[in-house]
Order: sequence, then structure tokens, then C-alpha cells
Amino acid sequence: MESVLSDRLHQTGWSTAPRARSVPVAMKVVVAGGFAVGKTTFVGAISEIDPLRTEAQITVESLGIDNAGLVEHKTGTTVAMDFGRITIGPDMVLYLFGTPGQDRFWFMWDELARGSIGGVVLVDTRRLEDCFPAVDYFEALDVPFVVACNLFDGVATHHPREVREALHVPANTPVVLCDARRKSHVQETLVLLVEGALRRAQARSGR
Amino acid sequence: MAYDPRAPDPRPSSRIVRPYVLTQGRTKALVPPSKLDRAATPEARRIVELCQTSTSVAEVAARMSLPLGVTRVLMGDLVSVGALAVDVGSPDAANDVALLERLLDGIRAL
Repeated sequence: MESVLSDRLHQTGWSTAPRARSVPVAMKVVVAGGFAVGKTTFVGAISEIDPLRTEAQITVESLGIDNAGLVEHKTGTTVAMDFGRITIGPDMVLYLFGTPGQDRFWFMWDELARGSIGGVVLVDTRRLEDCFPAVDYFEALDVPFVVACNLFDGVATHHPREVREALHVPANTPVVLCDARRKSHVQETLVLLVEGALRRAQARSGR
Repeated sequence: MAYDPRAPDPRPSSRIVRPYVLTQGRTKALVPPSKLDRAATPEARRIVELCQTSTSVAEVAARMSLPLGVTRVLMGDLVSVGALAVDVGSPDAANDVALLERLLDGIRAL
């Protein structure tokens, strides 16, 4: 391969190649929440591709024992990450990354969250505590986020105000009801997130 | 030569494709698959084919049904021979008012 491509390589040397204009800007949103809270459904409701799943090998040695101590001697495990894509225009693509469902893989979020415009924390109000790590994470990272209470079976079991009070999220963090199966709900949740990110960016740039 | 832990990592892929490329990078093939050397592996061909339109590393991994780490290494090799380019995007897109305005308009129009 090298011989055939060597002339090409000289023309387009990696370090000096002009940035390809045909590569659209990639924007990124992280979708977090507890296990089986509907993250993949949320991504799939608006993604132009079926949510893709990719797997990453991670080392769990330092994490101590796994559930029920079944894999005490395991040195690596696989975590899955779901993502979807929305083409905003010829020069912009939005990626939605669903985090691994298990809290203990929070450290993978750092890579996911880097460069993201913010997060959506999906909440199952019957298992509110499952979303605490995600809320804590986005707060600590100081990125905009929206709390979206997934309407399982289309039914709201709690008012967003109650969820807000229970989570103690900042006043400028929206808490909304969202049926993760419905595109319009997912769309509105993303609008709220980007509006928040925009307000913050405008404040920072002094506009 | 004795192993020197302070020596720079000689592996080209580790310098060319950094871990952040994993989710932030977008790749674009610089050549069509037909321009690859005959010795190119089927995986390399498939990656170059997938990257004819710019694609995220994570998406390539998913479509190849390969773990991210493996995909990253294969793509790093293709970058090092000039078959792929990696664009790590605007590092500060999250604070770019103009980009966010366009994104907002785009989401509303979906």
C-alpha cells in the first residue's frame, strides 16, 4: 500500500495537508441516564440511521469486583456505546452518543463528553436515583444539560417540578417530560439543550 | 537496544491518531478504494470505502463490527500511508455562537 500511495502521501502530507473542506463540522450531544431508561430509543427516534452500537474494550482491574464477584479475575470487559447521526446540512452533522448504561463506566464519559455541546439526562421517574451520576457528572463538567423524564407508556408519573425538586438541578437547567419514542419530543428536548448552550456561548462571547 | 521508558513512543499510529479521534474525529478517504495497493486487506478496503464520505471513527467501527481500539489501529495505518485524513473538528464548537445558531435552526427544521 505504501509504495502505491507514497506520491499521494507527499502531496498531502498529514501534518501539512490543508483541512479537507468536504468534511462537515461534527457537533455532539451525550445522552446519559440509568440502565434501560430509553437512551437508545431516544437516539433512534430522531437519528437518520438506526442507532449503531460499537464496543470498546476497557480494563476493569482497578474497579474491584464485578457484580456478585463473578468475574473477579477478569482483566477486560466490553462496553457498548450507541450513537445516531443527524445531518443538519451539507457542512454540519450532529451525533448523539448514548453512554454505557452502567454507572461504573462513568470514566468513559470523559471521552464521550469532550467537545460535546451538552447532555440529555434521561430519567425514569420510578427509578429516579439511577440518573444521579449523570446529573452529577454534567454539573461537575459544567456543560449545559436537559433533564428529560421519559414517559413510559406515554404516562407521566411525576410532575417535572417534583423531579426538579428531587434532583436539585440548577434553575437554568430545563426539566421536561419526553416520550423518547416520539421524534417531536426528542426534537424539542434537543432544541432546549442547544438553546441553553447558545445562551451560554453568547454570554461568554459578550454578545 | 535497551528499552527506555522515557523514549518517545515510536509507533506512528499513536502519534497520528490520538485517542480523542475516537469520538470527535471525522475521517475522509483521500483515495478511492481502487487506488489501494493490491496487498491491502479487505478491512482496509472496506474502511476506505466507508470513508468516501466523511465518517466518524465510531461509525466506522460499528459498521465494520470491530471494537473501537482495533478500528483505530487500522485507521491509523491508513492515515500513515496517506489513504485517510482525520479531521478532529472545531475543538470549541460548543462555544461557537454561529455554529450553535445553525445547529438550532437545523434541529428546529427537522
